[in-house]
Amino acid sequence: MDHADDILLRARGVRHTYYAGSVGTPVLHGIDLDVRRGEFVMIMGPSGCGKSTLLNVLGLMMRPTSGAVEIDGKATESLSDGERTAIRRDRLGFVFQRFNLLPVLSAEQNVALALKLRGRSADGQAAAALDRVGLEAKRRSKPAALSVGEQQRVAIARALVARPKLLLADEPTGNLDSANAAEVLNLLEELNRSDGLTTVMITHNEHLVDRADRVILMRDGRLEQG
Amino acid sequence: MGSLALAHLFHRKLRTSLSVLAVAIGITMLLVMLGLSHGMLNEVAERVQSVDAELIVLPENENVIFTAGTAFTSRIVPIIDSFEFGGRRVVKRTISVMLDTLHMGGQQQRLFGVDRTDMPAFLGSRKVVEGRLFDDGRAFGNHLDSLRNPNGYYDPSQISEDELRAACELVIDTRLARVGSYRVGEQVVFLGRPFKIVGIVESGVAGRVFCPLQVLQLIKNGGVPWVSLFFVQLQPPPAEQRTMGGDRQGEGVSQRIGAAGYEEAVADAMSKKIKAKVEPKSSYRNSLYESFSQVYLYINAASTVALIVCFLIILQSMYAMVLERTREIGILKSLGAGRLYLIAESVTEAVMVCVTGTALGIGLAFATKYILEAAKPLLTITLEARFVGLALVIGIIGGTLSALYPGYRAARLDPVAALTFE
Repeated sequence: MDHADDILLRARGVRHTYYAGSVGTPVLHGIDLDVRRGEFVMIMGPSGCGKSTLLNVLGLMMRPTSGAVEIDGKATESLSDGERTAIRRDRLGFVFQRFNLLPVLSAEQNVALALKLRGRSADGQAAAALDRVGLEAKRRSKPAALSVGEQQRVAIARALVARPKLLLADEPTGNLDSANAAEVLNLLEELNRSDGLTTVMITHNEHLVDRADRVILMRDGRLEQG
Repeated sequence: MGSLALAHLFHRKLRTSLSVLAVAIGITMLLVMLGLSHGMLNEVAERVQSVDAELIVLPENENVIFTAGTAFTSRIVPIIDSFEFGGRRVVKRTISVMLDTLHMGGQQQRLFGVDRTDMPAFLGSRKVVEGRLFDDGRAFGNHLDSLRNPNGYYDPSQISEDELRAACELVIDTRLARVGSYRVGEQVVFLGRPFKIVGIVESGVAGRVFCPLQVLQLIKNGGVPWVSLFFVQLQPPPAEQRTMGGDRQGEGVSQRIGAAGYEEAVADAMSKKIKAKVEPKSSYRNSLYESFSQVYLYINAASTVALIVCFLIILQSMYAMVLERTREIGILKSLGAGRLYLIAESVTEAVMVCVTGTALGIGLAFATKYILEAAKPLLTITLEARFVGLALVIGIIGGTLSALYPGYRAARLDPVAALTFE
């Protein structure tokens, strides 16, 4: 039985429809999901099944057409954009398929940005985060000078440096070769095991499923609990 | 935030440089135009105010720069000399001046026709650096005085051509001498006659060119003693004059006034008596500025337009930035950057560009000043501290305003759409 304070992320009846003018395309059809603290959940499904949309809704990047999302006990459907941004900043970490590093900043500056947005000084934490992912030696390098695997590790460091409660990863290995993908997965797994970082990762790669505590299949905007 | 803004500015060096240059050009234009207009007028005002006198008597609605011709006869001089205020004669000396213009140093110069004995009032502490003053010993002036009838007129035919030729002398100031490479002994043609430069005095005097009043009156007026204006030296006011008990225009008003107020009161009363424009020398500068108010209107309008164009360039550049960095804005939003952060980042970047451009513009303005003054020594460009301060304020405010709308647009972007933007 799941106690309420065990559940870090809860979604109930989440639906989302994309509109082009008056034409609507439903993408999510009544998603219910509970993620316990410290859990590593993988949501797997084919391209176009609504995985990224679900992650954007769970990460408060977009409002669902209907339904509720609760993060760390806090209901979010009635929050203002500013309040949702604050939760995203203070409690969530994101890792994207395309890394999404700022090209004009060095690796260290990219990581430190996450702290600065929280009003905190970097104070060596950015360097420590890069060291954690094995990139301390490349902290002054700009993203263009890093390999794809290294860029993704910088992105992970950025997501972790402010100690989020929940890490949301959108196809973090999608643009990586198998060696780099394994390395990134190892890192995520280690962070989950050693730091108890709750992780929700979406992927279409079925070879990765053994890394997760729980795998949920997604098809046509619906979850099939695994 | 500052490091992100700086990183962006250095990432696009060419665009940043062009934006900075745009602001710099606008600021330079503003400062040089203000500096030139104020500088020239200030210089004229300072030179006129260097005359050892308290009042200036002019025809109505004229000033020293624009007045031409000879509106006054010598008959007004005794009236001015005997003018009473507060029950006493207050005029110490009336200095007659006839104005004209001549072409020297590549432009028209104001020529002051002055009696030799009045030259000390114009020179003050300035020295004759080369040669001497004209009409040595006032020989020509005394000669003409000896020919005058009781009405003050003489027959010009009594003056020989040789006498007149010998009396055609000029004194110029050092700036004009430098511009035209004039030396003592050179001749300048004026009114169809050769005038010899006999002396060069330190600059700062009311006129750049002086000649004997009597020579000018003889050549232009056939000896009739008309003049263009007067400078009036006043006796020092007695202590009790500072409390005007019933003496001011008979109004019975008792009030304490300072020296400036005393001069103004005397000028006001004298103006009514002689039916001319009499103003304290101390208010000459303001009077001059009023005369050129239309010019300043044009200068201010042109400067404002130049600055608006500059800041529109900044706005356009910042707006293009929002479009180019759509994905980056999505990244920042996904990391939790709020609207204020995005607006502030936009403003910070724009203010950095504008402050740098302003600083460069101030530097260019000073460089322009030195170059122009070296090339045209008669130009005066004054870059006052208040103008520089104004430029800084405009730079900061302009940068802020230029970035507000682009920042607002950035803040309103949908993060998901922005992240997928190519």
